[in-house]
Amino acid sequence: MKTVTFLSGIALLATTTSSFAAGHASKTDVLTNYANIAEAKYADSLTTAKALQDAVNALVAAPSAENLQAAKSAWLASRVPYQQTEVYRFGNTIVDDWEGKVNAWPLDEGLIDYVDASYGGATDENAAAVLNVIANPMFELGGTTVDATVITPDLLENTLQEADGVEANVATGYHAIEFLLWGQDLNGHEAGAGARPWTDYAAGDACTGGNCDRRGAYLVAATDLLVSDLMWITAQWSEGGDARAAVFANEDAGISAMLTGMGSLSYGETAGERMRLGVMLNDPEEEHSCFSDNTHNDHYYDGLGVQNVYLGSYTRIDGSVVSGASLSDLVAHDDAALDIEMKTKLADTMKALGAIKHQAEAGFAYDQMLERGNSNGEALIMGGVNGLIDQTRSIERVVAALGVDAIEFEGSDSLDNPSAVFE
Amino acid sequence: MLKRLVFGAVFLAQPVMAEQLLVNDALDAHILPRYEVLAESTAHLHDAAQTSCASNAPDLRQAFGQAFDGWVGVSHIRTGPSEENERAFAIAFWPDTKGFTPKSLATLIRDQDPVVQDPVEFKTLSIAARGLYALEFLLYDPAFVSEAKEGYHCDLVKAITTEIARNASEIRNAWQSYQAKLREPSPDGPYRDETEALREVYKALGTGLQFTADARLGRPLGTFERPRPKRAEARRSQRSLRHVEVSLQSTYELALILSQTELDIRQSLRLAFDRAFELAAALEDSDFSGVADPMARFRVEVLQQSILRIMDILTLELAPALGVNPGFNALDGD
Repeated sequence: MKTVTFLSGIALLATTTSSFAAGHASKTDVLTNYANIAEAKYADSLTTAKALQDAVNALVAAPSAENLQAAKSAWLASRVPYQQTEVYRFGNTIVDDWEGKVNAWPLDEGLIDYVDASYGGATDENAAAVLNVIANPMFELGGTTVDATVITPDLLENTLQEADGVEANVATGYHAIEFLLWGQDLNGHEAGAGARPWTDYAAGDACTGGNCDRRGAYLVAATDLLVSDLMWITAQWSEGGDARAAVFANEDAGISAMLTGMGSLSYGETAGERMRLGVMLNDPEEEHSCFSDNTHNDHYYDGLGVQNVYLGSYTRIDGSVVSGASLSDLVAHDDAALDIEMKTKLADTMKALGAIKHQAEAGFAYDQMLERGNSNGEALIMGGVNGLIDQTRSIERVVAALGVDAIEFEGSDSLDNPSAVFE
Repeated sequence: MLKRLVFGAVFLAQPVMAEQLLVNDALDAHILPRYEVLAESTAHLHDAAQTSCASNAPDLRQAFGQAFDGWVGVSHIRTGPSEENERAFAIAFWPDTKGFTPKSLATLIRDQDPVVQDPVEFKTLSIAARGLYALEFLLYDPAFVSEAKEGYHCDLVKAITTEIARNASEIRNAWQSYQAKLREPSPDGPYRDETEALREVYKALGTGLQFTADARLGRPLGTFERPRPKRAEARRSQRSLRHVEVSLQSTYELALILSQTELDIRQSLRLAFDRAFELAAALEDSDFSGVADPMARFRVEVLQQSILRIMDILTLELAPALGVNPGFNALDGD
C-alpha cells in the first residue's frame, strides 16, 4: 500500500516503504536504510573516482586538449554523488575524521604548483603558501628537508597534507585534483573558470608551466589516493563496517547523528561558512569549487543530500533507487503536521538552490553573483541561505519531537563523553 | 499525538509561564540594555572619529575600546535584528582566516577608492573592510596607522565608524519590534511557543561560551607543537584577554537569568564562572603571546578548560532542567 498525500499545490513524495505500510517504521529500519544509502553514495563516489582515474591516466599517457577535457568531465561527474555524502560528515565521527583527506577546502594552491603573481607570497598564516612542490624536488618544510624527487601518494598524504599544521595546505583530494586540471581562475568576478592549458602535461619542448612530468605524477598520485580513500570509506559503511556499526550502537544516538548531519551541514557549514560568507566578502576565491566554477553544483548536491536523508531515498548514478524507512516516516507517525512542514522546507530549499544552479548553467557564473554590488546575485545566493536556515529550525523541531536530544556540538566536552548526554 | 519522550516528565512539571518569564527577563535585563550600550558606545566612537581621526588620538582609541567592549558584550546574541542586512557581520568580521581584512584595506587605500565618501555605496564593500576589526588595523597596525588629521586614512576611519554606529543603532531600533516575537511566540512567528523562544535565548548563551573557548582561546592556542599567537583576537590593540573577560561577564549575566529557577544549578554555575574569572584575572597576558611558552600556555589551557566546564553544566544540567533541547548554531561545521 502506498500512502500519497496531496496538499494544496504541494505534491508530497509517495512513501513506498514496506515497513511504513505494515505499521510504522522502527528506528532500526530507519538506521538500516540510512546506512544503506551511505554505502550506495560512497560506492557511487568510488565508481566515478575510478572513471576519473582512468581519464587522468589517459591524459598523462597521451596529453591532449581532448584528454584534459575528458578528465575535467570525469571530475565534474564524480562530484555529483560525493557532494550528496557530505550530510554524513557531521555526527558520524568516522566520516568527519576522514573527509579532510578528500574534500579539504579552501586551499593555498601555491603549495602544489605555479600560481599567478597576484596570488602573493607566504602569509602570516602559512609559510608554505607558495612552496610549489611540482617545481621543487627538494625543499624545507617546517624546519626539515623534504625529498620529493618521487611524488607518491604517501608524500602527499603524510608529508604535504596540512603541512606545518596549516589547514590551507591541502595536498590531496578533490580540490587539489581540481586545481591540477583547471588551474587558477584568474577571471576575478568575470565568467569563466581556470584555463590551464593541456600543454601543462605535454612532454619535451611542448611542456608549458615547467615540470610537466612532475605535474603528471602529482595528478596521478592524488587521484590514486582519492580512489583508495573512497574504497576505505565505502568499506566502513558496508556490512560489518565500523561506520555502519557505529550508528546502531545506540539507536537514539544514531537518529541524532542523522539530524546532526542535516542541521550542521544546512546551517553552520553551507548557509554560513560557504554561502553567506562568500557574499559578504565579495571574494570569488570564496567559492567552494573556485577553479572549475562548479560551486553551484556543490551547494545543490549538498542540499539534495540533506533532503534524501530525511526522505530516506537516494537515486544512484545508474538511475536505480535506494529507499526505505525514513525519518519522515518516524515524524509522520508522531506529528503529521511537522512532517509536512519539514518536507516543504526541504523542497523550498531545493527550489532556491536549483535557481542558483540554473542561473549558473545559463551563464550567470557564481563568481559574478558574489561581486560587490551585484544585488541580483546576492538575492539568489541569499535565497539559498535563507532556505537552509529556515529548514534548520524545522530540523530542531524534529529533534524535539523525536525526543533524541543529543545533538552534538563540535568542540564540546559532551562529544568526548557521549554517555553523559544520555544519563 | 505530540510526544516528548525524554523531557516529557520535566516538561510537564514546568509551568508554561516560567519559560516565558525567563525569556522576558533575558530581554529586559540582558539583550535590550546591552544592545543599547552598543548603540551608545558606537555613537560616541563615531563622534570621536569626526573630532579626531588620527590613529594615535587618545579620545579615538578610548572610544574604540569602549565600543569594542560593547560589541563583545552582545557578540553571542546573534538573533533577528543583528542577522538582518548583515549588520552584525559588518560590525565584526573575525576570525579572518585568510587575511581578507588587511588585503581589502590595502586595496582600498592603494586605489584611494572613493567609496568612503558614500555611506550607501560603502555598505556594498566586503565585510572584511568594515567594522571594528578593520578599524583596529587602521588604529594599531604599523602598516596601516597614520597620524594625519585629514586624507584618505582619515576618511576611511570616519566611514567605518559611521557605518558601525549606524548598524548598531539599527539593531537597537529593530529589537524594539522584534522583541514581541520572543515575548509572544506564535505559530506564524519564528518561535512557535515558549519553549522555542527559550531555546533561542539559551542557544545564545552556549554559542557565546563555545566561541570564547574555541576561537578566542583555541585559535591562539593552536597545538602544543604549533602555538598560534598571531591568531589571537584583537591582539594589535592588546585586547585579546579583555575580550575573553568581557564575554564571560556578559554570558554570566545571561546564565544567572536563565538559571534563576534552578538554584542548585545556579550555584554550580556561579562557582564555575568564578573560577574562570579568577583564572583570567591571573593571566597577565593581554594578547596571548605567551601561548608559545609552556608555562604561560598551561594557564591559558586551564582557562579554556574552565569554560568547557561551564558549558558542561549548561548542556548536562541546565538545558534538561529548562526543557530545552539543544539546537544548531552557526559554529557547527568545520
